[in-house]
Amino acid sequence: MGLYFFAIFLGLGLGIGFAIVRQYGGSLTSRIATGYIEVFRGTPLLAQIFVVTLFPPALNAWLVASGMAPIDILWRIFLPDPFGNPSIVLNTRILLCAITLGLNSAAYQAEFFRGSMGSISTGQSLAATSIGMTRRQLIRFVILPQSLRRAIPAWSNEAVYLPKYTTVAYLVGVEELFAWAKLAAGRTFLTIEVYVLIAIVFLVLISIISWILEYTYNRVKIPGI
Amino acid sequence: MQGSQGLFEILILIIIRGLPATLALTLVALLIGFAVGTLLALLRVYGPREVRWISVLYEKIFRGIPLLVLLFLFGAGLLGIFAWTGSFASSLFMAAVVALALRSAAYQSEIFRGGIMSVDPGQMMAAQSVGMNGIQATRFIILPQALRLSLPAWTNEYAVVIKDSSLCSAIGISDLLYQSQAFTWTYPAEFFGIMLIITLIYFVFTYPVTKYVGESMTGRLRRLGLGGGKE
Amino acid sequence: MTKVIEVRDVYQAYGDLEVLKGISFDVHEKEVKVVFGPSGSGKSTLLRVINMLTPPYKGEVLLRGESLMAPNANLSKLRSRIGFVFQHFNLFAHLKAIDNVSIGPRQVLGMTKEEAHDVAHDMLCKVKMEDWGHHYPAELSGGQQQRIGIARSLAMSPDVILFDEPTSALDPELIGEVLQVMLDIAKEGTTMIVVTHEMGFARAVSSEMIFMDEGVIVEKGTPQHFFQNPETERAQRFLLRLEVLYGQAEDEKNSE
Repeated sequence: MGLYFFAIFLGLGLGIGFAIVRQYGGSLTSRIATGYIEVFRGTPLLAQIFVVTLFPPALNAWLVASGMAPIDILWRIFLPDPFGNPSIVLNTRILLCAITLGLNSAAYQAEFFRGSMGSISTGQSLAATSIGMTRRQLIRFVILPQSLRRAIPAWSNEAVYLPKYTTVAYLVGVEELFAWAKLAAGRTFLTIEVYVLIAIVFLVLISIISWILEYTYNRVKIPGI
Repeated sequence: MQGSQGLFEILILIIIRGLPATLALTLVALLIGFAVGTLLALLRVYGPREVRWISVLYEKIFRGIPLLVLLFLFGAGLLGIFAWTGSFASSLFMAAVVALALRSAAYQSEIFRGGIMSVDPGQMMAAQSVGMNGIQATRFIILPQALRLSLPAWTNEYAVVIKDSSLCSAIGISDLLYQSQAFTWTYPAEFFGIMLIITLIYFVFTYPVTKYVGESMTGRLRRLGLGGGKE
Repeated sequence: MTKVIEVRDVYQAYGDLEVLKGISFDVHEKEVKVVFGPSGSGKSTLLRVINMLTPPYKGEVLLRGESLMAPNANLSKLRSRIGFVFQHFNLFAHLKAIDNVSIGPRQVLGMTKEEAHDVAHDMLCKVKMEDWGHHYPAELSGGQQQRIGIARSLAMSPDVILFDEPTSALDPELIGEVLQVMLDIAKEGTTMIVVTHEMGFARAVSSEMIFMDEGVIVEKGTPQHFFQNPETERAQRFLLRLEVLYGQAEDEKNSE
C-alpha cells in the first residue's frame, strides 16, 4: 500500500506538470514532455522496473570494474511490525520500484489531465486573458480548477489500475501483498484458495478506492462543468 | 565485452526466441477477448433485464483482479484444467492466454458498450422502420458502426495487452522479456543494451499503432459522420 | 478631449484571408462607438485586435498613448485596462457569479479578498444581479450571464470596454435587460466600443457609428447621419435590410 500511495501521488504531481508542459509549454519543452509520456506509455511496466531496479547493481559493477568505490545500495530502514519484529520498510529496491511506478503512472495521468485541459473551451482562456490574467494566472485560476474536476472520472481509472500493477513489484523482490500471498501459497499448498483470497482482497480494495473517488467527485462537482 | 557473442547477435536470438510467444499471446488473447467482450457488451446493452448483471459482475471482477494474480491462479493453481493440451508447456501457454483473454474481455466489453451507446439512436429506429428485427438491426446496422467507433479505444487495448503479456514471463512463458532476462544473466555486461532495446521493441509495436491507426481512424470516422456528434 | 484608444492602420489576416485592411479610428473619453456591418466584415476581429487577443500583423493600437504592440509592453497589465464582453459570455464555469466578478480585482489588481468582494458586490448591484451572486453560470439564463459578464469587466475599472455582439446569442426576450444595463453604464460615462446591430441602442447613446464591410471602414458618422441619409450605397442597403428585419419583428409583435 505504501508503494501505491507513494506512486499515485508522485504520478499525480508529475502528471499534472507534464500535462501542463505538453499542452501549454514552449515547442521544445512540450516535445520533451510528449516524448516522456509516449515512451512510458509505450513500453511495459515490468521492463521499466527491471531497468530501474537493476541499475544500481549494474552501476556498482561498472564502478568496481573501473577501479572506483561502489556506492552503498544495501542501506535499509527497519520499523517494528505489529508483532514487534523489525521489518524492512524501505531499501533501495523498494524506493526505486515506487519511483518507477510513479513515473509510469505520471505518463498515464498526464494524458488524462491533458485530455480534460483540451476539452475546456477557448472562450475561458480568452475571457481570462481579456481581464489581464497572465498565462500563469490563467492556468492556475481558470484551467486547473476546471480541468482537474473534469479529469476525476478518467483519473479514477488510473487510481484503480495502479494498485493492481503494484503486484509487479513482487517480480523484482519487493515484499508487497502479492509476495506474501505467493509465500503463503507455497507453504500451505492451498494454491487456489490463496489466490482467490488475494483476488477478493484486491476487489474490495479497488471498490473502496472507486467509492471514495466517486464521493469526492460528487462533492466537488459544479453545475455546468 | 564479456560474452562470446556481441550485443547484436544476442538481440537477434532474443527476438527469434521470444517475439513469437509475445505476439501469439497477444493475438490469441485479443481475439478471445474480442469474442467474449462483444457478447458481454451486447448482453449488457440489449440483454434481458434479468441477466444484464452477469455482464456487469464479470466486468467488475476481471477489471478488479491484478493480472499477475490471474496468471498465477491459472498458471499455478488451476494449471490442471489445461492438461488436455498435452504438454506442460502448452498448458502453461493456454493458462496465460486464458488469463490475458478473460481480463481483456472485461475491458473490451466496456469499449464496445461505449461504441454501441454512441451510435445514434436514430439508426436503430431507421433499421426497424425498414422492417429489420432486433437481431438484424444489431447485426447489420448497429454493430458495424459500433465496432468502427470503438477502434481508437480498441487499439489502446491492444497496446495494453501486448505490454502486459510481458507479465507472463513471471510464470515461465518464454516471451520477449523472459528471453532478455535470461540473456542478461548470461551476459550481465550487456544488461542495459539488452533491456533498453527490448523495451524499445515493445514501443515499436505499440506507439505507431496507437498513434497512426488511432488518429487516422478518428479523423476518418469524423469525415464519415460517425464521430458521435460531439465537437 | 483625451484619446483613450487609437487604432492606426491595422491589418489582420487568417491565413490567406485578409479580414482587416487598414482600419484607423480614435475613441475619446466617455465616447460610445458603435461598429456595425454584415457578418464577415471583420467587426469581431477588430475588437480582438484592439486588446491583442489576436495581434494584427501590421499597424498599431494605442491605449492612452501607450502602444500595445511595443516589444516591452506589459500586455497583461494593458489588457486589464481594456474590458471585453463576449458574445457567448465566457463566464468562468467553475466560479460562482460573484467570484467571476471578483477574481480579476483579487488576482490581477492585487486587492485583498474583502476589497475584491466589496467591488464585486457593487458591480453586481450595478447590473441588478446582487441576488444571484451565489449561483454558478450554468444555473443562470443567458441574459443574467451576460450581465455578470459586464460586471466582470466593470470590476476592473477599465479605461474602455469592448462589447462583441453582446446580445446576439440571447433569446429575444432577454435582450432588453442586457441593453438596459449597457445604456445605464453608457450614461454614467463609460467609454465603450460596441459591435452590435441593435440600432435602438446606437441611436440612444452612440456618439459615432462606424459601418464596416469586407475589412474596411466604409462610412462613419453620427446616428442621425446614418438614419437620415447614409452616403454610401452599401450602408444604405445594409440599413434597409436591418429595417426590414426590425419591421418584421414589429409586425409579429402587433399580430400577437
